[in-house]
Amino acid sequence: MKKRMIGLALLIVIMLVIGGIYMAIGRAPQIITVDGYVGGEKIELLEDEEVQAILEEDYGVKADYSRAGSLDMMTADMDGMDYLFPSSSIAEEYYEDLHGSPEQSEIVLNTPIVLYTHQAVLDAFDSQGLITSSGNSYYIDMTKLVELIRNDTSWADIGLPELYGNISVDTTDPARSNSGNMFAALLANVLNGGQTLTQENLQTILPQLQDIFGKLGYMETSSSDLFSQFLRMGIGAKPVIAGYESQLIEYAALYPDQYETMKDDIVMLYPTPTVWSTHVFIALDADGQVLLNGLLDEDIQRLAWEKHGFRTGNYTTVSESGSLNAQGVADTITQVTQVPSYDVMKEIIEQLQ
Amino acid sequence: MRKRLTALLLTLCTVISAAGCSLLPEVNPAGSPGETDGNDGSAFTAGSGDTTIRILSGSENQELEDIVSDCADKAGVRIEMDYQGSVDIMRELQNGAEDYDAVWPASSMWLSLGDSQHLVKHSQSVSLTPVVFGIRQSLAEELGFTDGDVSVKDILTAISNGKMTFCMTSATQSNSGASAYVGFLYALLGKQEGLTSEDLQSDDLKTQIRELLSGVDRSSGSSDWLKDMFLNGNYDAMVNYECLVIDANEQLTAEGKEPLYVVYPYDGLSIADSPLGYVDHDDDQKEEAFLAFQEEIMSADSQSAIEATGRRITANGVSEENKDVFNADWGIDTERILSPIQMPEADVLMDALNIYQTEFKKPSLNIYCLDFSGSMTGEGEDQLKEAMSQILIQENAEKNLLQASEGEVNIAVLFDDEIVDVLQASDDSDAALEELYNEIAAAQPGGGTDIYTAAAEAYSLASGYDLSQYTPAVILMTDGQSVYNESVFEDALEAYDSDIPVFSITFGDADPSQLEDLAALTDARVFDGTKDLTEAFRSVKGYN
Repeated sequence: MKKRMIGLALLIVIMLVIGGIYMAIGRAPQIITVDGYVGGEKIELLEDEEVQAILEEDYGVKADYSRAGSLDMMTADMDGMDYLFPSSSIAEEYYEDLHGSPEQSEIVLNTPIVLYTHQAVLDAFDSQGLITSSGNSYYIDMTKLVELIRNDTSWADIGLPELYGNISVDTTDPARSNSGNMFAALLANVLNGGQTLTQENLQTILPQLQDIFGKLGYMETSSSDLFSQFLRMGIGAKPVIAGYESQLIEYAALYPDQYETMKDDIVMLYPTPTVWSTHVFIALDADGQVLLNGLLDEDIQRLAWEKHGFRTGNYTTVSESGSLNAQGVADTITQVTQVPSYDVMKEIIEQLQ
Repeated sequence: MRKRLTALLLTLCTVISAAGCSLLPEVNPAGSPGETDGNDGSAFTAGSGDTTIRILSGSENQELEDIVSDCADKAGVRIEMDYQGSVDIMRELQNGAEDYDAVWPASSMWLSLGDSQHLVKHSQSVSLTPVVFGIRQSLAEELGFTDGDVSVKDILTAISNGKMTFCMTSATQSNSGASAYVGFLYALLGKQEGLTSEDLQSDDLKTQIRELLSGVDRSSGSSDWLKDMFLNGNYDAMVNYECLVIDANEQLTAEGKEPLYVVYPYDGLSIADSPLGYVDHDDDQKEEAFLAFQEEIMSADSQSAIEATGRRITANGVSEENKDVFNADWGIDTERILSPIQMPEADVLMDALNIYQTEFKKPSLNIYCLDFSGSMTGEGEDQLKEAMSQILIQENAEKNLLQASEGEVNIAVLFDDEIVDVLQASDDSDAALEELYNEIAAAQPGGGTDIYTAAAEAYSLASGYDLSQYTPAVILMTDGQSVYNESVFEDALEAYDSDIPVFSITFGDADPSQLEDLAALTDARVFDGTKDLTEAFRSVKGYN
């Protein structure tokens, strides 16, 4: 017993000494490190040194992350995680459905779904009357595109015999990643005559949607992987992909030399109509909230647009595109349909799995 | 009360010392953290930095070792590479890839299929190369494959008419094999897209694909080894990467032999994009080192050196300085738009791989020669029996896609300095295989060792089968300390006039030198059963 008391006393002495040193040196700046799941398309933003500097200096927070699909992350292991940063409001509703209300959540960024393709495909689509342009921006008629896909039109049929197979749009897996999920939402609305799909017409539209996705085969799980494969592997491998507007703006801003070599070939098409991908930040705890506040900082929001292509959380803001290196970016996004409700999307996801 | 006080004090102490620690300089007693070398048997090592990056790579990157070495030096990073087929890399990732800091499979598809734990970051495509058919030039001309478009169906017709034999890698282990196999499925089903699991159940398809795979001379677990096998053997064609056909052709022409003509089947093409990705195990120092190494690999100099090995670095043709490497006389076409087939969705792909293993591929004829000599007593014997349980108990085998295929034959030859016993599973059922295992598990070691007599016995047993209907392999499991009795085996080789590979898996205190001679004689390989048994089995079964 005595021995134990001596041990304890010793401990206390050591503690006091260490505590004393600690006091003497004074407080080190407290930077908290938060960890969370992030959709691949926002990684460059979090890795941006300017963004990191603002977060650390003004908000005392450093963001660590693991990459995960927007829907995948909702069912991933959240042990030790402070935040989730998916790319749609659907994902946020999915979270609430599974886990209840989060500590805090807010729309931080917005970007519309677009299609990326190559000049030769643009010309072929144009010859089919699918394309209109305004300023430097191109718009594609989604109703007509969906018709070509549903009729099993081959690339050869529209004058591209060097491409194998039928016209299709490569997308990420709608059950696992957001850009694919948003593209499925867009297709659902287009199949529904351009109106947001509701429970009422769901059963009519679902088989058509399944038919289109059934033809797609293997789907990537991350939009950033899909986009880099699109850039890397040429027109033959990925003639058209669905992605975010932000991806090209960011690529052109961060890799101007590479963009220069391909800008005559790479084309961004705004679908008419399109849908917004809303990047909702879900704070799981107080540390996560600190990062959320940081991301809403005015300077970070500006960097998010100029360097990473994300429009602000406010849908109506006009974003000046003149200063961007990327070609063909529209100032405003007007032809937008609303993403179907969570219930409808949930059933779509389940049926597409 | 006292307990609570103690607890409180201890908590307090922990808090304060934790705070104190952050003020002290980083203590780094033995080199850099994470430097533990769990992988001393790496296939290739380079560089000498403080931080080690362990890369699990597809074997096709073996040709890049000089470039990797250069990049490791420039980045000041130590690199350790292990080689596996891409499908195996996918499985390793699914299991957490604890022993690796980076992965470098042939195609990014295997990364996204494998990364169920969200470990992979910073993945970048290092080079591009299509999966093609390389066919002996004169035969390609004879078959009319040197002009105009060639379809997979055209090639399959040549194979089923007996005009061409070919070899490919195992679809369940390697990207090139899996890609070619998917191309075959589409061609036989007459589909272009949207392969379904129901499609795979078609009896017609089963008959046709079995017939087709019966034309596979020998398959291999990895692409680079397939190329070596092709060069050592006498084959008409192989399915492999364009870059490895180029490599094979360089060696063939240097030896004054006929090169291969590259055929790009328009309905069966796929592209390997060779992604190098970081596997995040929460070690910032490693992440930094990885990024430094990756930057070197992606630098203009390295990329040009990589292109000079026959890999493409952009989708738009090749650079002027490396144009000669992509020899048009070999059918290599850098102007052509590479338009690959659609890979099936993930679940269907996995179904397709399973059914390949269990139903489509030629049944294996496995003759296990098991060393029950005195030197195996103890450790060696335990390891051997454990190994046999991994392959024969189907519940275990399934986990690693090693389960017995339909019609498979399994024989065990127990030997010391003579043949002790010959056991055989009565059929391919789970129960029969388990019974065989139980008989093996009951055996006890003793006596001397003669691997040559055992291998000769295996050849004699194999001669009782119509070997055109099987892919036969002899698998010697031994510590390799044998009397020299080589002539017995050489006589058997001659008498049975076959070239069944004699693979060896070593156990205990092994001496592989004699086994390597046997492997060299029969175009086989020696594996260390104490390091990664699953890999050894996967290799042996893939290679047979």
